[in-house]
Amino acid sequence: MLWLKTMGICLTIAGFGMWGLGGARRFSRRVTQLRDLRLAMGFLEKEIIFMHTPLTRALERTARFAHPPVSQLFWAASRHLQSKAGVTAQEAWQIGINKLAQTSDLGKKDLALLEVVAPQLGMSDADQQGKFVRLIQEELKLLEDQAAQEVEAGQKIWSYGGFILGAVVVLLLL
Amino acid sequence: MVLPQTAVLRTEITAYLAPNIRKLFCGVEDRLLSHLEEIRLRCNQPLVLRVGDKEYSIDRHGRVVTDLKQGYLVSREDLYRSIASISDNSLYAFEEEIRRGFITIPGGHRVGLAGQVVVSGQEVKTMKDFSGLCFRVAREVPDCALGLISQVAPRGTPVSSLIISPPRCGKTTMLRDLARLLSDGSGSVPPHNVVVVDERSEIAGCYQGIPQLNVGMRTDVLDACPKALGMMMAIRSLSPQIIITDEIGRREDVEAIGECLHAGITVIASIHARNVEELRGRPLIRKLLDEGAFQRGIVLTRQPRPGRIQEIIRWDESCCG
Repeated sequence: MLWLKTMGICLTIAGFGMWGLGGARRFSRRVTQLRDLRLAMGFLEKEIIFMHTPLTRALERTARFAHPPVSQLFWAASRHLQSKAGVTAQEAWQIGINKLAQTSDLGKKDLALLEVVAPQLGMSDADQQGKFVRLIQEELKLLEDQAAQEVEAGQKIWSYGGFILGAVVVLLLL
Repeated sequence: MVLPQTAVLRTEITAYLAPNIRKLFCGVEDRLLSHLEEIRLRCNQPLVLRVGDKEYSIDRHGRVVTDLKQGYLVSREDLYRSIASISDNSLYAFEEEIRRGFITIPGGHRVGLAGQVVVSGQEVKTMKDFSGLCFRVAREVPDCALGLISQVAPRGTPVSSLIISPPRCGKTTMLRDLARLLSDGSGSVPPHNVVVVDERSEIAGCYQGIPQLNVGMRTDVLDACPKALGMMMAIRSLSPQIIITDEIGRREDVEAIGECLHAGITVIASIHARNVEELRGRPLIRKLLDEGAFQRGIVLTRQPRPGRIQEIIRWDESCCG
């Protein structure tokens, strides 16, 4: 029976530990995704300001440029605009954000910033669009720096926390 | 039976209307749509359909009504959705068109814009807060200029001609068909190289540079190009035999026409005026006529229908005789 108990303890601690490590990895993935998002917005800015590419195509090209899961935002928005079913850029962008929320590690604060983009997207001249998209990129950079600072502390809490929680559960069960 | 033109109208124009308004058009009879000239959307005002000299609206249940007050009230959101649809949600890609006050959609139909105009210096910078849209249906009337061709090209040789009429009498439609007939050749008139200088994108109805309306197989179109500039560009690079342009009147237009005539090119143009007397009241045009720039003047009227020839003036004969 002892070997069974030992194995149970090991599995419980390992399980919680893995869960903690997974949580810890989310911190560094968020930083990467915020950086991808900022670069994608830069690409979209160029498409709008220099190429004057219509939004549907500009979003599609940005989706091809961006890495997953960030590319999901641009794919979903572009696809909904292509449907020509009277969908506005604002609605299509919101659908893209919902898709991104399901597949990325971005937080509420990050997604809220993206929601600010929705009403402005496409519906002004190139100068105004440029100013706005640049502002969003600056905000994303701030979020990215902030997220990078949180990585070390957050990773420690989650990775140690997982194992500690596993040990606590084991002690409670014994 | 659904008229082909009506089917085209349903797919080409109503596709760009806000979904709420598009739904209303489902119940509109094809007979009315086939003669439709304009659809007007004004913020918080009834939807207006113009058919000839009559105005109609559509009520909330999709019924066509003659009392505009019963018509569907166009909301700000309807306008926003229509603008978003026309511009593919990309107003930045239509800056030049917005500055000119209209956007051309596939099929060559023009959407006039009303709203707050932003001016910088003496130039229109952009337009914002759109308050109204006017969809003008581009309609080809094939062979409508057939009766005119013997006047514009007597003995098969085109002569410089001026089409004169007030707005909405069919000048542009007539110019378009003349371009086609002269370009493709018709009866005793051989084919010619034609250049259409289409400053307002009305003659050829270009969308993304491609003519949406038939202007003939030997016709080059300088779309959205200022008339005077376009005429000089055409002389230099497109070797036209005939230049066709709409609504002349400015000093630079008159000077460019002089250059074309000296280069041996036939010019066929249109101008706003009710009759020749009114035309002669404009010093620049009077000078042009006195110099013998045009051999034919064709006055159009709207009665009993647009495009009806009211009078043909033979300036070459009156000079000689």
